[in-house]
Amino acid sequence: MSERRPIGIFRASWSVLRKDLVLEWRTRARLNALVFFAVATLLMFSFALGPDSKLLEKHAGAYFWLAILFSSVLSLGESFRVEMENACLDGLKLAPVDGRAVFLGKAFGNALMLLLLALVVLPIMGALYGIHLPLGPVWLITTVVLGCLAISAPGTVYAAIAVHARARDVLLPLLLFPLLVPALLAAVKATTLVLQGDPQDDLGDWMKLLGAFDAIYWSLGFVLFPRVIED
Amino acid sequence: MFRVVVFLAITILTGLALRFSVRSARLAIGFGLLGLVTVAIGGYLGLVVAPPERDMGDVYRILYVHVPAAWVGLLCVCLNFGACVAYLFKADWGADSFAEATAEVGLCFSTIAIVLGSIWAKPTWGVYWTWDPRLTTYAIMIVSYSAYLVLRGFIDDPERRAVWSSVVGIIAGVDIPIVYFSVNWWNTLHQQQSSPQTVSKPMVLPLDVSGFAFLFVMICFIALRHRIARARRAEEIAPPEALPSTSREAA
Amino acid sequence: MTPHLTQLVLQQAPAAPVGRIVGGWGYVWACYGIAWSGMALYALSLWVRRPKRKEPSP
Repeated sequence: MSERRPIGIFRASWSVLRKDLVLEWRTRARLNALVFFAVATLLMFSFALGPDSKLLEKHAGAYFWLAILFSSVLSLGESFRVEMENACLDGLKLAPVDGRAVFLGKAFGNALMLLLLALVVLPIMGALYGIHLPLGPVWLITTVVLGCLAISAPGTVYAAIAVHARARDVLLPLLLFPLLVPALLAAVKATTLVLQGDPQDDLGDWMKLLGAFDAIYWSLGFVLFPRVIED
Repeated sequence: MFRVVVFLAITILTGLALRFSVRSARLAIGFGLLGLVTVAIGGYLGLVVAPPERDMGDVYRILYVHVPAAWVGLLCVCLNFGACVAYLFKADWGADSFAEATAEVGLCFSTIAIVLGSIWAKPTWGVYWTWDPRLTTYAIMIVSYSAYLVLRGFIDDPERRAVWSSVVGIIAGVDIPIVYFSVNWWNTLHQQQSSPQTVSKPMVLPLDVSGFAFLFVMICFIALRHRIARARRAEEIAPPEALPSTSREAA
Repeated sequence: MTPHLTQLVLQQAPAAPVGRIVGGWGYVWACYGIAWSGMALYALSLWVRRPKRKEPSP
């Protein structure tokens, strides 16, 4: 038998990610459901708050991120439910794949899913709430990317835990929402500044907070996730 | 410098006290009784002896129960974090039980702290709630650690429960300072609430006494709750009783 | 300059009552009551949940 080279961690992550993306592309069921859910949530906010378009425009950032957050619970839960069927996660563990590679693959997959969702929802939100981009699209995209990364890392860890517990649909948001408060604050603030202008030049600070949150939780997830999925 | 030394000394002594109390129910109850007495003394000092404050009159006396409760709540979070990290390094039922105990006791004291803080806010700031960084951080802390305990309740396998709740405890513990920092930042864009920062000399003694009182009560509670957790673990992992006897040849 | 001026003005004012907030003992008793009863209730819950001594198996 020939000597097998150990699979590098990034190659393994890429395999996991590609598997998820191919699966998702074949059915596109998850993405469709997420888009409809997010748009429905945005509509609900509009109806709940009334037709005052000034108010909606002012708080568009907040509604956007709340819609993404609520959708993320569905998305994250689904990403691990598919592994539970047919014991796929056990299969992954039996193949010589490092738990950390599974984390990177899964978390990036979840982040990509949220990013796609966000990019689809943004123009719809633009139409619904009448938003402008005084600072240009680059900052908006950066904020959205950082925010999706922030939801995805701890969300992946918690989804892996919640999917095994009873009442998994309640447990995931219960665990995730208090954790994400700083990221939510920063993302909403940054998005609002991007959409409404930044007179005091605070945007950099909020982006740094969001970036720091991402760095901390991606590192923690990288270290802790293998313990979550090991037997 | 003196304060740092005192803080370290208290930390080390608390650690030792916990170490011995978890093994001996008597010692734990001893701390509880000591705490009861000290609470009474602290209450007397705070309610009767301490002079009224310049701006807040007598209402400020709430500080003598609110601040120690908040300190203990935060201390329990730190202890929980330590226990979770310890468990991931070495799987030990003692560490897991300690994590469970500190989470619950911390939740108890944090809830007391936040309720008292809210009641205190009414006469001083006019509202029951503000997005003050400390109050908000405690609110997040309470939800996080309630979620931690709910998670523990939902997992039946003791080992998985221990590993997963350690992971959750670490992630939640790291979040607390981030929440404080970000809410503080968030608030600086709105008005700053003033809160009594400096405490004058005759008011320090009741605060210190009450602080120790709550600390002793905390030690008692954690130690007793730890015993309960350990007993439950022992029950869960014990082999089933009433196995068919193998030595029936005598009949 | 301003603190100095404030001090001058305060010195002119008649002796202020003991605190700007007068009374409020209701709040104080509520808080102490909640703190003490909260701890007592938790202690009670610990007592109720205490581990039972296992009888030695026959």
